[in-house]
Amino acid sequence: MLHQLTVPQALAGTIAMLLLIVQLTLFRSVVVAEFIRVYALQSWLVAAICFGVGVTERAWDLVVLAFVTLLFKGILLPRYMQSLARGISARIELPARINVLLSLVLAGALIGLSILTSIQLPLHYGAFLPRADLAAALAMVFTGFLVAILRPNALAQVVAFLTLENGLFFGTITLAPGLPFVIGILLLIDVLVAVVVFAVLVRALIEQHAAASVTVFESLRG
Amino acid sequence: MLPAVVIAIPFATALSSLVLPSRVSRVLTGIAGAATAACIASIALAAANGRGGLDALSALFLLPVGIVYGAVGIYSTWYVRAESIGADGDERYRREFLALTNAFACAEVVVPLLTNMAGLWVALEVTTILAALLVRLQGTSASLEAAWKYILIASCGLAIGLVGVVVLYAAGVGPLGSRYSPEWGQYIAIAGRLDPNAVRLAFLLALIGFGTKMGLAPMHTWLPDAHGAGPTPTSAMLSGILLSDALYVIVRFAAITNDAVGSGMTRKLFFIVGLLSLFVGAFFLLQQRDIKRMLAYSSIEHMGIVACGLAFGAPLAILGAFLHMVNHAAAKGLAFLSAGRIAARYETREIDKISGAVAVLPISGTLFAFAGLALAGMPPFGVFRSELMILAGGFSTDDWPIAALVLGLLLVAFAGIVRWVMKLTGGDAPKFVRRGERDIGAIGSMLLISLVVLGLGLYVPVPLEHLLARAAFILGGRG
Repeated sequence: MLHQLTVPQALAGTIAMLLLIVQLTLFRSVVVAEFIRVYALQSWLVAAICFGVGVTERAWDLVVLAFVTLLFKGILLPRYMQSLARGISARIELPARINVLLSLVLAGALIGLSILTSIQLPLHYGAFLPRADLAAALAMVFTGFLVAILRPNALAQVVAFLTLENGLFFGTITLAPGLPFVIGILLLIDVLVAVVVFAVLVRALIEQHAAASVTVFESLRG
Repeated sequence: MLPAVVIAIPFATALSSLVLPSRVSRVLTGIAGAATAACIASIALAAANGRGGLDALSALFLLPVGIVYGAVGIYSTWYVRAESIGADGDERYRREFLALTNAFACAEVVVPLLTNMAGLWVALEVTTILAALLVRLQGTSASLEAAWKYILIASCGLAIGLVGVVVLYAAGVGPLGSRYSPEWGQYIAIAGRLDPNAVRLAFLLALIGFGTKMGLAPMHTWLPDAHGAGPTPTSAMLSGILLSDALYVIVRFAAITNDAVGSGMTRKLFFIVGLLSLFVGAFFLLQQRDIKRMLAYSSIEHMGIVACGLAFGAPLAILGAFLHMVNHAAAKGLAFLSAGRIAARYETREIDKISGAVAVLPISGTLFAFAGLALAGMPPFGVFRSELMILAGGFSTDDWPIAALVLGLLLVAFAGIVRWVMKLTGGDAPKFVRRGERDIGAIGSMLLISLVVLGLGLYVPVPLEHLLARAAFILGGRG
């Protein structure tokens, strides 16, 4: 049975679709800076969703979280990543056996899996984004994994992790908007610290190998 | 009060290690380890008698922290001195190592103290970040590779775990309202009213996500690298404590799932990952050439045994699985600490280049042999007792063919470990390797932990029996 969507719900659904489309552009991007811009745009969209859920549910802590997200994930983190990316090879190659079309087909299959999984669950969905929230969150997480697997570049893998985390954050605020504010803030801090640690490792990688390619990571096997 | 103290001790020691000279902070680390172990023993005793505010599951899973951090703290008084990192070792390295080790212990002790499902995720993620920094600390190409793989794979795994937390939260919105704190006790209280499919999905995601941190196959790929490339005390803490911390979170999820939909699904999934882990651990053990990677694969094998014990579902098997987690922490802690001394003395981790360790390091070599035989499942060590309980529990159920398969895989692992232990400790030592040992801190820590390895094989104290029984009751049995 089809339900009539309210205007905020339709807007939210549109933003969720935009999030996924933005995520899919990672499969055709070959430049580090573009990866980072995609992440920044996605973070703005997630902040918008967070703001929308906060206003709709009158949860003002989520409104605060939206602004904090915008500041850190939409502005500061991308700038930090850009500074990290300066001075290294700007291009990110796909593995030879995978082309853009095939990677998009794989991503499409994962999105299909996400939709199939979500329609099996009669969860008590939030009023802001009914039905689509779990599917979109799962799709962002799964495709984030795929980007990390398909791009053998340290910075690309960090961005993939961050987009995956955006999917988690999106899922958390739409599926579990009542999760205590302190947990939301802890999640955010956790991401920031993880990025700093990733940055430490990326710098060490560049120092040791003069490149950010992770194809050099092949000594530990078996 | 005491739970706050066991967090405060390593936290304060971590902070002081950043500013104090390493010769002072290494002593403080030894004291902190011993004090934390004493506090945890006191907490466990209280919980065994139904006092202290913590449930038996939390108290039981604190034990590996007390055992391993206690030993590692004392061991580190030796580790940051000459032999391990060079006589003129970098003071900055020592400070960073001590600060990170204590901070890591602090994060690890927080996990079993929590029952908030979202808070558990945050605490485990913090352990990932700190562990990655510790693994990277030695600055070699291998340690960088191991740290990268670890943080990427573990973080992605934990991301899946968080989806599990969110799905569980969403399942609770109906009975609990849209704004509630995701406390484990609340879910247990309303388990019957949770949507069964949502609970099943949450458990599946939690098992994949937190199972990655636990080193369960096929999500185990980071484990041999991180355990092999990190500093020795870090390897002991990763293997002895962190794997049990991840198991703690999975058991909390499993308890909710068992209450909500029965134990059929959790048991099936535990069987799958348990048997896979046993298979991977046992067969990869046979072909290892690096002493620490060999121990790492043994960890995967033992996590597989624990998962199978939980899967059998018989009370004896569940008791055995929980006891095995404690026994494994002690035996693996001892194995890594003694292996670290052997590797430092021979200046290599390659098994082919090490022989006669008992002649070179009479105490460390002998204790390594003890630890190896314990991990192989030889009597009279504790691991033998818990493996016997798991197998006896398994053979008493309809799943006895799986118990027979587990026994077969254990024999393969037994052959692998005993073969390497004999090679490393027996035979003639190379002439160029200096003989003898006088390092009181390292020897003392290993002797203390070996008392647990042997003691739990000879006798299980009554309070520990109570803890095990109460923890098994929390998980729930066959149904």
